[in-house]
Amino acid sequence: MRGAKSAKWVVGAVVVALAATACGGGDGDSKDKGSADGGVFRLGSTEPDTIDPGRAHESTGVLLANALFTGLYGNTPDGLAEPALAESATSDEGCTSWTFKIKPDTKFSNGEVVDAESFARGWARAAHKAAASDVAYHFAGIKGYAELQDGSAKTFSGVTTPDPTTIKVDLSKADCEFVLKTAHNAYSPVPKVAKVGEEDKAFGEAPIGNGPFKMDGTWEHNKSINLVRNDTYGLEKASLGKVQVTLLNDKTAQQLEYDGFQAGTFDYAHIPTPMLKTAEAKYKPQNKWFAKDTNGMNFVLPIGDNGPTNNKDARLAISYAIDRQAIAKGVFQGFQTPSTTIVPPSFPKAYQKDLCVSCVKQDVAKAKEHAEKGGLKPGTEIKFSFNTGAGHEEWVQAIAKQLEDVLGVKVKLDGKDFPGMLKEQQGGGATGIYRFAWGADYPTPENFLFPLLHSTSMSKDAEGNVTGDNRVRYNNPEFDKLIDTARGTKDEAARLAMYKQAEKMAMDDMALIPTFNRSQFRLMATDKFNGLDDINFNEDPILEKISLKK
Amino acid sequence: MGRYVARRLGQMVIVLIGATMVLFACLFVLPGDPVGSIAGSDKARDPAVVAELKARYGLDKSLPEQYVNYVAKVATGDLGEDFVQRREVSEILGPKLQNTAKLALLAIVLVTVFGMGVGIIAALYRYSILDMATTFFTTMAVGFPTFVIGMLLMKYFAVELQWFPQLGGDKLEGMVLPAVTLAITDIAFVARLTRGTMLEVLRADYVKTAVAKGLPRRRVLFKHVLRNSSIPVVTYLGISFGGLLGGALITEAIFNWDGVGLALVQAIQQQNNPIVIGVVTYSVAIFVVLSLIVDLLYAALDPRIRLS
Repeated sequence: MRGAKSAKWVVGAVVVALAATACGGGDGDSKDKGSADGGVFRLGSTEPDTIDPGRAHESTGVLLANALFTGLYGNTPDGLAEPALAESATSDEGCTSWTFKIKPDTKFSNGEVVDAESFARGWARAAHKAAASDVAYHFAGIKGYAELQDGSAKTFSGVTTPDPTTIKVDLSKADCEFVLKTAHNAYSPVPKVAKVGEEDKAFGEAPIGNGPFKMDGTWEHNKSINLVRNDTYGLEKASLGKVQVTLLNDKTAQQLEYDGFQAGTFDYAHIPTPMLKTAEAKYKPQNKWFAKDTNGMNFVLPIGDNGPTNNKDARLAISYAIDRQAIAKGVFQGFQTPSTTIVPPSFPKAYQKDLCVSCVKQDVAKAKEHAEKGGLKPGTEIKFSFNTGAGHEEWVQAIAKQLEDVLGVKVKLDGKDFPGMLKEQQGGGATGIYRFAWGADYPTPENFLFPLLHSTSMSKDAEGNVTGDNRVRYNNPEFDKLIDTARGTKDEAARLAMYKQAEKMAMDDMALIPTFNRSQFRLMATDKFNGLDDINFNEDPILEKISLKK
Repeated sequence: MGRYVARRLGQMVIVLIGATMVLFACLFVLPGDPVGSIAGSDKARDPAVVAELKARYGLDKSLPEQYVNYVAKVATGDLGEDFVQRREVSEILGPKLQNTAKLALLAIVLVTVFGMGVGIIAALYRYSILDMATTFFTTMAVGFPTFVIGMLLMKYFAVELQWFPQLGGDKLEGMVLPAVTLAITDIAFVARLTRGTMLEVLRADYVKTAVAKGLPRRRVLFKHVLRNSSIPVVTYLGISFGGLLGGALITEAIFNWDGVGLALVQAIQQQNNPIVIGVVTYSVAIFVVLSLIVDLLYAALDPRIRLS
């Protein structure tokens, strides 16, 4: 999951409502005035974990990796795949073999030509054990992945390069949406200086890429990362001369960004949750306020194989007992909307509004009825775990209170640090419910359904410890079959129909309990720059489209 | 005197060993998994990768073994490699130490000049409006938490008036707000301390004698009063400087000052233990050295104090 530190996301993010106001910000006058070449775009962000394209996974790292590297495909801001260096992508009838043709003669910023080999190198490098990459699993479908992960191979047996502009990919299982995955930063090409199969610190500190921007110096840890326009960029060149990313202390980053925007230090800022109302009142009239519903979804994650939530009725009881409207209005002050699905509304072709019947409205009678059937007796203890310090306390407490009031159960709140919570969630003894959020890495419903609910996204060891993202331990062979068939179905309409059916199946089993849809809010210096009328699929400013106003 | 210094340095080693040992034990019984933060927290890890990372950082060994390995390395000046950037701890902390030192130095200059200055004036004009105003403001300043002071300064002087940059930076103007934030409480303390000890000394017989002998007022003040009343102040300044050099967690976090304080805050959050231990080892060392310097200064200020 991109932005894996989803805690940070959600806080940062506070999810919004008002679909109607989405895209409030500033394209109004941007087209009237012309653009000037050059200019410095300044933003504040937290210190990234890594900016290596093969490893970047949290928001700052992804922002930078995508500015520095361009792969086969990209995503449009509204979540459609869009070719970048790929000239064509074709698959065989069964979707197990893909062939990409790439644009010839584009270059890395060191002058080296980007050829098929550079892609094969980049992919193998990211998937190799030595990279210890958090996002290596995006390659899991390619033949030879296991050998790279255990370090016994240095190349993908499934990736061949018959000529400098052709990449052939053999998959171990049919995947008609493989092309979408290539938009992920891990699928970037890398030049020859990047090391495959060994640790590569130097490259990670100042990656040499083929993107619209290149590094200006090296990464000054906790201080700044500066980019300059890459004048040898193979696609449409950027207009901005420089991008300055000031690295901020992550505990106060949002406040610093917000203050910095007000003080004129930054041209773009996230907004601390408590300041949303003030910021909206102040900056919306100035056309500097931006709001957009994004694909992030928040859930209550019920452990499905153990403890009080091991049956559908208990989970339904919990879902019916939650008053999502009250929390959206009260705790989130209207900046977040209740959710009724697993797949987000930002995937309009797959979205099935109100699919989760128990999510639509709190229903005390039904909640009690299901609780009785599901063995949630008054006094039953349910553990509710969440990560502390990330702004979840209030809504978690609100839900706990509602469950206690409606069902008479005893909710034991268990706050932990993020790694601690995840570790416990994966442990064999996990019970009860967890705070959970998920955002898409590529624009397909499969990116929610497969990792979160497919049985192969989970492997259990003898002690019941789980690896993989199917943390609810959902195991429904029919669901699996539907997803597998859908992935191997070439026709998009038929594929989507299957995903919808699979989502309904999981919802009927109440495998996950939807809570809120996420929206994003930003402040943007639309008085100084054009191109600040949207954020991209990764919720970042679209650096290559920004230009200085004349 | 030579023997005294040698003995104190010997003590320093013992204090360092004790402090790092306690810290080591604390860090490793904390919940959570440092390897989780190396490998990224959100994704299920391949157990083989986790095992390899543990072996690489020696985390698979027992705690005492890890400690012994650590001390052996530190003795050669090697603080090890951090978990997040996988760089040398000394290489990471080096520039941060410089940043913190710059801030600490400016702050301690402010504290010395303004704290002692205000204290001296208040003592000389005792019970005047000036004195009472000093008492009032120093009481206020001591009562305000640092983070409130920092946030108020930032809000008014950086965000609204825009007199100073909101985020530090390398120039002097960027250092003003964080240094003032650090200094305010200490200025108040030093002012009160100076005032109190000055008043005491002013009442002493030898001062009366000096005045009666007809020595010029200025000479009495500097030669007799100030010198004798500065011992507790010097002690306080020494300790305070030591604390500042160890990194000001809150102030550095508020102003995003890239010093050891901020590094420590972040390292604790990330369970980046080598950095935490590195910062603490260094702070303890500074503290011990400074208290030695303060003790040596005593002897210089008051020849009756013998060091042996």
